[in-house]
Amino acid sequence: MYIKELTLTNYRNYEQIAFSFENKVNVILGENAQGKTNMMEAIYVLAMAKSHRTSNDRELIHWDKEYAKIEGRIEKKHNSLPMELTITKKGKKAKFNHIEQSRLSQYVGNLNVVMFAPEDLNLVKGSPNIRRRFIDMEIGQVSPVYLHEVSQYNKILHQRNQYLKLLQAKKQTNVTMLDIYTEQLIELAGKILMKRYRFLHMLEDWAKTIHSGISRGIEDLRIKYKPSINVSEDDDLSKMVNVYEEKYNEVKQREIDRGVTLFGPQRDDVLFYVNERDVQTFGSQGQQRTTALSVKLAEIELIKSEIGEFPILLLDDVLSELDDYRQSHLLSTIQGKVQTFVTTTSVEGIDHETLKEANTFKISKGNLIIP
Amino acid sequence: MYYPEPITKLIDSFMKLPGIGPKTAARLAFYVLTMKEETVLDFAKALINAKRDLTYCSVCGHITDQDPCYICSDHQRDKQIICVVQDPKDVIAMEKMKEYQGLYHVLHGSISPMEGIGPEDINIPSLLKRLQDENVQELILATNPNIEGEATAMYISRLVKPSGIKVTRIAHGLPVGGDLEYADEVTLSKALEGRREL
Repeated sequence: MYIKELTLTNYRNYEQIAFSFENKVNVILGENAQGKTNMMEAIYVLAMAKSHRTSNDRELIHWDKEYAKIEGRIEKKHNSLPMELTITKKGKKAKFNHIEQSRLSQYVGNLNVVMFAPEDLNLVKGSPNIRRRFIDMEIGQVSPVYLHEVSQYNKILHQRNQYLKLLQAKKQTNVTMLDIYTEQLIELAGKILMKRYRFLHMLEDWAKTIHSGISRGIEDLRIKYKPSINVSEDDDLSKMVNVYEEKYNEVKQREIDRGVTLFGPQRDDVLFYVNERDVQTFGSQGQQRTTALSVKLAEIELIKSEIGEFPILLLDDVLSELDDYRQSHLLSTIQGKVQTFVTTTSVEGIDHETLKEANTFKISKGNLIIP
Repeated sequence: MYYPEPITKLIDSFMKLPGIGPKTAARLAFYVLTMKEETVLDFAKALINAKRDLTYCSVCGHITDQDPCYICSDHQRDKQIICVVQDPKDVIAMEKMKEYQGLYHVLHGSISPMEGIGPEDINIPSLLKRLQDENVQELILATNPNIEGEATAMYISRLVKPSGIKVTRIAHGLPVGGDLEYADEVTLSKALEGRREL
């Protein structure tokens, strides 16, 4: 799939701007603070209905305006579809093929994007919540049911934590209600765990090959899910549910004393190993970068295998973060098949034929400069 | 204020209703001025009577102008079945169906610690008392199919099950008369989970 047209209205520093793109590499050129990243973010928001940079949607609206609007036309294998996302101070309205979608989980997944920004290098060395967010977002792109399960899980978790606080403060003594929240929580936790295992398994398959390519065959990448309970990938749903039940029974009093849920997918993590060594702790900067890059490139292949079409790749300011060899590996991977957006302050020094064939858009102060 | 006091007061009163903002309130208030005096009087009476004459049924909690309500005092009904709902409006929805012959019990809400509503804050104690005093064979839990409604249903079921009364939960899944292809993925996956053997 690729984006053919993109129009932004009152989006961050853009008042009104329209682009038309081709299915190849598009270079977004501009000085610092002119709106390059904002444009990449807009494509991401159009796809995911939320920003990768902020959880406060109001920031996306031009400072003195009431609403922001992102419109796009997506070309897929067999059809061409308009998408529209309006962000107001009260909330978001999403339209797909001119029809308003009542649930955002229905809207997300129509346009698939993979974003690679400098902060993604933190995927490996950052805190566990970055990795959890990553897997939730990526599975969500290919499975609306997963997205729904995660949002239901979070709701129950909130209710349960609130109830635990009441028990802790002795404002409530009814433990039966806690058991019910535990039961509801476990049912979804099991499903979420199964889907995360399956996803990481596929991601590992793709990432291994890519990582081996980038490291010229000397590094072997493994991705392991680290659950907060004692289960393994081969366990089935009923086994996982059993283990959760035992665990929650065991820690019940501790949870009441602490007033918070102590186990579950919200406390899990993902570990990356290169040649059997934990990259987060023992890996060099270079290995951490290669790992992050491999995982991102694997995502492209994974979405292709699940959806049947390549997603759109957004490379925000990362070319400069990678050395020549990794740069050219990245550019060769996408060559001719993935619509890619690259932001950079200058194309000098990047010598690759993919970039020579690219369309260039120059942006200055929220406007498109026609060459 | 630009308006004379009586109409300002009327506008403020309309604004107390849900879904009515200042503009709609002003439009409604000016419309009242054009109405016949007797129509306005009937309107005012209807408002005050609805508030004065309606209470909650002491048995089931449904809104009523006589106690017990017309459903609880109807001898034709099957007193062995009680359907538990969250809201009086749910009773009306069930009654429109004209298929259900049992009694009701209105909870007036669902359990939600986030909103400060615990099990003791909704109409559950009176339900348990009814189950003790009356000869009930089946309890149908018809709370909403969301997290809170589901938790409330599970809670009631835990309390009632040991007494040997049959406890059932209404089904959820595909709407009747709909096309499978138009169902969203989440509804479809729920429908698949709740499939039954034929």
